[in-house]
Parts: sequence; structure tokens; C-alpha cells
Amino acid sequence: MDGKCILRMCDITKTFPGMIALNKVCFDLNEGEVHVLVGENGAGKSTLMKILCGVYGKDNGKINLCGVDVEVKDTKHAEGLGISMIHQEFNLLPFRNVAQNIFLGREPVKGPLKVLDEERMHKEAKSLLLSLGLNLDTKTLVKELGVAQRQMVEVAKALSMNAKVLIMDEPTATLTTREIEQLFATIASLTNKGVSIVYISHRMEEIFRIADRITVLRDGLFVATVEDPSSITMDELVAMMVGRRIEKRFEKPPVELGKEVLRVDGLSSGGKFEDISLYVREGEIVGISGLVGAGRTEVARAIFGADPKDKGKISLFGKEIKAGNPGTMVSKGVGFVPEDRKEQGLALIMSVKDNIVQASLDKVSTGPFINGPKEKKVAKRYVDELRVSTPSVQKLAKFLSGGTQQKVVIAKWLASGSRVLIFDEPTRGIDVGAKQEIYKIMGDLVKDGVGILMISSELPEIISVCDRIYVMHEGRITGEVMQTDANQELILGLAMGKEVVQ
Amino acid sequence: MKRRDIERTAGRPRFRVSGVLIAIIAVVGVFSFTAKGFFSLANFANIALQGSVLFIAALGMTLAILSGMIDLSIGGVMTLAGVITALALKAGLPPILAILAGLAAGSLCGAFTGYLVSSWGFHHWIATFGMMGISQGIALVVTQGSSVSGFSRAFRNIGDSTIIGIPVPVLIAAATFAIIAFVLYRTRFGSNMYAIGGSEQVARYSGINSSKMKLSVFVLTGLLAAVAGIVLTSRMNSANPTAGMGYEFDSIAAVIIGGTPITGGRGGVKGTFLGAFIISILKNGLNLVGLSSPWQLTIIGAMITGAIIVDVITHSKR
Repeated sequence: MDGKCILRMCDITKTFPGMIALNKVCFDLNEGEVHVLVGENGAGKSTLMKILCGVYGKDNGKINLCGVDVEVKDTKHAEGLGISMIHQEFNLLPFRNVAQNIFLGREPVKGPLKVLDEERMHKEAKSLLLSLGLNLDTKTLVKELGVAQRQMVEVAKALSMNAKVLIMDEPTATLTTREIEQLFATIASLTNKGVSIVYISHRMEEIFRIADRITVLRDGLFVATVEDPSSITMDELVAMMVGRRIEKRFEKPPVELGKEVLRVDGLSSGGKFEDISLYVREGEIVGISGLVGAGRTEVARAIFGADPKDKGKISLFGKEIKAGNPGTMVSKGVGFVPEDRKEQGLALIMSVKDNIVQASLDKVSTGPFINGPKEKKVAKRYVDELRVSTPSVQKLAKFLSGGTQQKVVIAKWLASGSRVLIFDEPTRGIDVGAKQEIYKIMGDLVKDGVGILMISSELPEIISVCDRIYVMHEGRITGEVMQTDANQELILGLAMGKEVVQ
Repeated sequence: MKRRDIERTAGRPRFRVSGVLIAIIAVVGVFSFTAKGFFSLANFANIALQGSVLFIAALGMTLAILSGMIDLSIGGVMTLAGVITALALKAGLPPILAILAGLAAGSLCGAFTGYLVSSWGFHHWIATFGMMGISQGIALVVTQGSSVSGFSRAFRNIGDSTIIGIPVPVLIAAATFAIIAFVLYRTRFGSNMYAIGGSEQVARYSGINSSKMKLSVFVLTGLLAAVAGIVLTSRMNSANPTAGMGYEFDSIAAVIIGGTPITGGRGGVKGTFLGAFIISILKNGLNLVGLSSPWQLTIIGAMITGAIIVDVITHSKR
């Protein structure tokens, strides 16, 4: 369906502390079309859509809806304007029924006492769901529904607000093939009714299947809008997404690779990832690349024993570890630098010293008592070694910058004698100078024979830092790339599930 | 199919209620044989009378817990409302005005806690914990620590008279229950309470003003605590400056045993009725068999733990 333009976003700019998330981005939407929005992690897709539906305010730019300039104040206002977003984490109450969720906060009432009109509520909910081809008892609690049905309830909720623009953020991420077909049928029937859909996706096959147009963003910039998706190939689309950023960020010192320190065989965990096999050698930096939601962090957590695994073998230094939990893994020499530094990496209200010795209290204790001078000596040693910029080891971690905090986390694992380090997005939210220092520390570590497994969403980073890169797509490893063969197009293609002929 | 049905009803009061009902029957059965004078009409009337005050207070607690919060100040506010009413009566105010003064005091306490929570972002636990101390403290200060007693017949009627054979406190509790149940189950306001208790973010994204909701919930819990405190004062013919102590514990117990989990978002006042009922039966029966209040506390505490275990089991599947 080729309709008139109903939405035009012009020169949208949005800055967050320390970064420009969107820089003069333009986007428009025609009536009854499916407009796919693509870009790498952090390209600004979600930010743009959150501005449209009132979650974030914009710094600059204009939004024009059906010929009228609008300032979207909040989500409620956006919904009043006919703009609804279906988030990846659903906004439903599990212990309320389907109809109650659809009409949450807008329940129909009757009479002077404004009594809830349950009958009308269930009737209208039923007919909304039927129009989506779903015959569901509207009295069912949402917690009883599967993911696909919940999604339909979200769509019904949007329709109940007369949505003209429906934003779907990776709607197929958790659906089975059959459910995806149903979703596409629903999308087709919605567009036939004149609803316009903004569809954020990372899946190549479906992008080309359902897109009427495709807009590409990169690093917060508008790259292009493809008016006719059949005119370009997947490779061309990937090339648009990565652009030409060639920069060598880091030169890893030449290190002789030694014995295997970590080996994972056929690791699976229900629905999160499947059949993961990988290995890391002494002196090696191995990367795991992939898009957000591919299951990388889940794999790392399972290796560290923080999450249970269903199947598979994990071996350290050639010996299989049967029941892995973080305690055993730490004692066997594994350290985990998590993505969420402030929540999982360190205790913000504790001092630098206490954070550093946290995983090695037995080494700084005399009998059952912590030996204060010893503790301080260990902390000081690593503060000096890693050049942690803190006036004293007594300083609370929360007063340090992001890069310095990250060094404290690394110091903790060095103090505990880790020989295998797992880094999850080690440089996220860290300024450029500090990033270089983190890379340098990683280089020094591998020189000492430590093996590093590193997750990163930044393609240039992972390509320049890692010796070998595993690429994950939807819970599976889709490729293993040596640094010498690595380029952004190849890795992003694998990460998006593109078949690669080698 | 059958398993599915059970799962489907697990979140609704009916499944839980039947469990508590069985417990009530069991408790009644045990006491009927062990406690002399337990199984008599007079004693049942006594249980209903004692239970009414707890039930009214627990109705307020249900609203707070349902909305994902808790109100620790209920006991203190009960005491304060009772003391204020008593002092007003002693000052010569007509009963109706004295009662209004007590109700106003309770609502004001609730409004203040609600204001701290909704406008200043205080954690509900801290705000109500503070109010617990404030209300209890004021009650002690204004009475100089001693009971205020001896009221007019007109005021005492609330606590000790009957209408068509039913004690007035029971009627007040029933009417309060009817009003709260109507608000909770049949109005948008009630539905919004479930929403903010289920997930404040989801509620906010659905355009529900969660600050306003929280303020209203605390005003209601304060008001209901005041009702309970005034009924108690009338029944005792005395306002003791520590009369409400322990009611926060018993009402939280009634709510949890009644199937409203401490995390909020589900449950309701129907379960609280049974929760308050079983606690009142237990207290009465244990008194009759000669087990003192420390034992009562232990047993009620064990029941709360039991209710939580049942809740975890019924909700851990899937």
C-alpha cells in the first residue's frame, strides 16, 4: 500500500552525557507501510523511536505528524496522538487478565458511580483480539500466555488506543518460526487498515521480506533511506551499516600462544544459547561478537558458573569442571569482569582497597582475621601496577571515573590470581584515553600468559584487540574469524545471521 | 487439562481462599474439642467482635500491600486516633465531632506519609516506620502516658450495642469491607492499585499517576486505622496510649495469610477477611486453652511462613 506521508521527523538531535546519540537524523513514514530501521548496536535506532513515543525528550529537531508539528511530552501524549511502541520487554502486568491489561488505566466505566464496565471491557478486548486473528479468553491472566500471545495483547492494546503509528522493537527476537509467520500476517492486515509500522530488526531475511522501505543509521547519523529494498543486496545493506571506519586502535604485543586454558564443549542453556564450543589459549585474546541479545553475556555467565547450564562441558587447564559455581571458578583462577560494572563489578560504597581484596580475602588473612597491613599492601601493589588513579586506597569506588572503576575490577581478579579473564564489554562508557589503558593492561596480561575471553559490541574494537573472534547470532556461534581475515562487513553479516560461504 | 485449570486459578483468590478455609475448619475443629467454652454462640460473637477491629485495620493494610507498599504505622495511628477522639469527648465535644476529629487525625497521618512517599520519593518502609514512631509518640505525649477512660453512653454504643442482634463493630466492619471491596474490584481507582503494585513502570507507561495513587492509598490506610482505633476505644470504654501496638503485625499477618503477597499486584480484601478471621479464632482459642500471647505470636508467625511457602509453591511453576 502506497500512502501519503503521515510522519516526518527532521534533524532530530539528542545528546546524553558524554555522547551524541543522534545527530540531525531524519526519518519519515508513509501511511500503511512497513518501514524498517536498521543499524549496529548503538546506532541510535531505539533512541530515535523512544523520542517519537515520548520516552525521551529531544534536544533539537522537529516532529511533524499528519501535517501538524507536535511536541511529544510523554508516552501518554504519544498514545493520544496515535503513536504506540511495543517494547522488547513487554509492558504487561502478569497477574492481571488480558482485558485488564489492554485497557489498563483507561478502563471503560458506566453510571454515575463510574463502576467498571467489565462486560464492555471484555467484549471490546475480545473483538480487538479477533481482529488480530487470535481467539483468546480475555479473562486469562497474562502470566499464562506465551511470548507470541503477549505480543498480540500488546498490539491489541495499541489498537485500542487507535494507534496510527506502531513501533515494533525487534518483535521476532523471541518468537518461533510459526509465530513469526503469524506476526507477519498480523502486520499485513494492520498495514491494509492504514496503520504504519516502524520495524526495528537485526534479521536480514525478515528485513528484506517485509520492508517497504529501509532506513539505515550509523553512530547516531542518518545514512540513507532505501526506497526500494529489492534494488540492493544484503552485502550492500551491511556495508551501509558499517561504513568505512578503518582505525587501528591497539597493537597487541606479539605473544607466543601456549596451552589451552579454557575449553567449552557443546554448552547449552534452555532457549538462551545452544551448542556453544570455544577455546582460549595462554596469551590469547579471544573475542565474542554479536548483536545485543545474541546470548553472549549469557554464555559468559554460564562459563563463570553464575547461571546454570543444561548441557555441555567446561574445562580449565585441561581438567573438566563438573559443578561450576563462581566460587569454584574463582578458586581455579577464573575472573569475570561484568558488563554492568556498577551493579555486578564492584561494590560502589566500598573502598578501592576492599574492592580489590574482595575475591582474595584468604590471601590477606591471618587465620580467621583479616590482616589490615597485608590487605593494604596488596591493594597498593595493584593500584600501582595498573596505575589506578585514586588519591588513596581508602577512596570509595563510587567517586572514581568509569575507566578507573574498571581498573579496580581488573585489579580484584589479578589479586585473586586469575589466569583466565572474561571481559564483558570492558570499555563501555569509558573515555578514549582510559580505553587505551584498558587495552594496554590486557596486552600486559597476555604477555604474562593469561588467557582472555572478551565480549564486545564495538566492531573496530573487537577486530583490533582479538586474535580470534567467535560470532554469535541468536544463541549460536555462526562463525569463527581470525584477526587477519576479520573485517566489519564479514562479522556484522555473521552477527545478523547471513549465510556465509567460505 | 486439570493441571492447567489449577494453574489458571492460582493467582485468583479462590484457590488460596479454599486453603485458608480448610485451615479455619481445622482450627475450629481442634479448639472445639480442646478449649472449654470455645464452641458456643456467645464465644463466636466474641470472636467476631474482637476480629472486627483487626479486620478494619487489615483492610487498610491490604490496600497498601496490594499497591506494592506496606504501612507500618497502622498500630500507632490507631492509638493516636483513639486518643484524640477520647480527649475530644473529655473536652465535652459531641460524639460525632469527636469521632470526626479522630478520623481526621488518622487521615492526616496517612496524608503526611503519602506526601513523603509520593512527593519526596521516600521509601514507603521508612516513611511509615517514621510515622509509626511519631503517632505512637504523640499519643503518649498528649495523654502523659495514662489511659483516658469513661465515656458517654452515646459513644459507648458503637462498641457494645447490637442492632438486630449483631454487634455494632461487626456491622461497621462489614460496611467498611463492602465499601473497600467495591472500590477495589469495581472502580478504575481499585484497578490502578493492582497496576502500581504489579509494576509501577507499566502503570506509569499506561498513563496512571502513580504518585497520586500512593498518596491516596496512604490516606485510606490512615483513615481505616482511625476507624479501627475509634471502635476499639469505644469497646474498651478507654483509650490506652499503647492500645494499637501489635496491630501492624496482626494486620500484615492477616493480609499475607489471606493470599496477598508482600510484593503486591495481586490478591485482595476477600482473602484478608479469612486471614483476619483465622487469626481472631486462633487468639481466642489459644486464650481459652491457656496459651499466652507469646505462644500466639509464635503460632501466627509460623502461619505467615506457611502462607509464604504455599505462595512460593503455587507460583514457582512456570
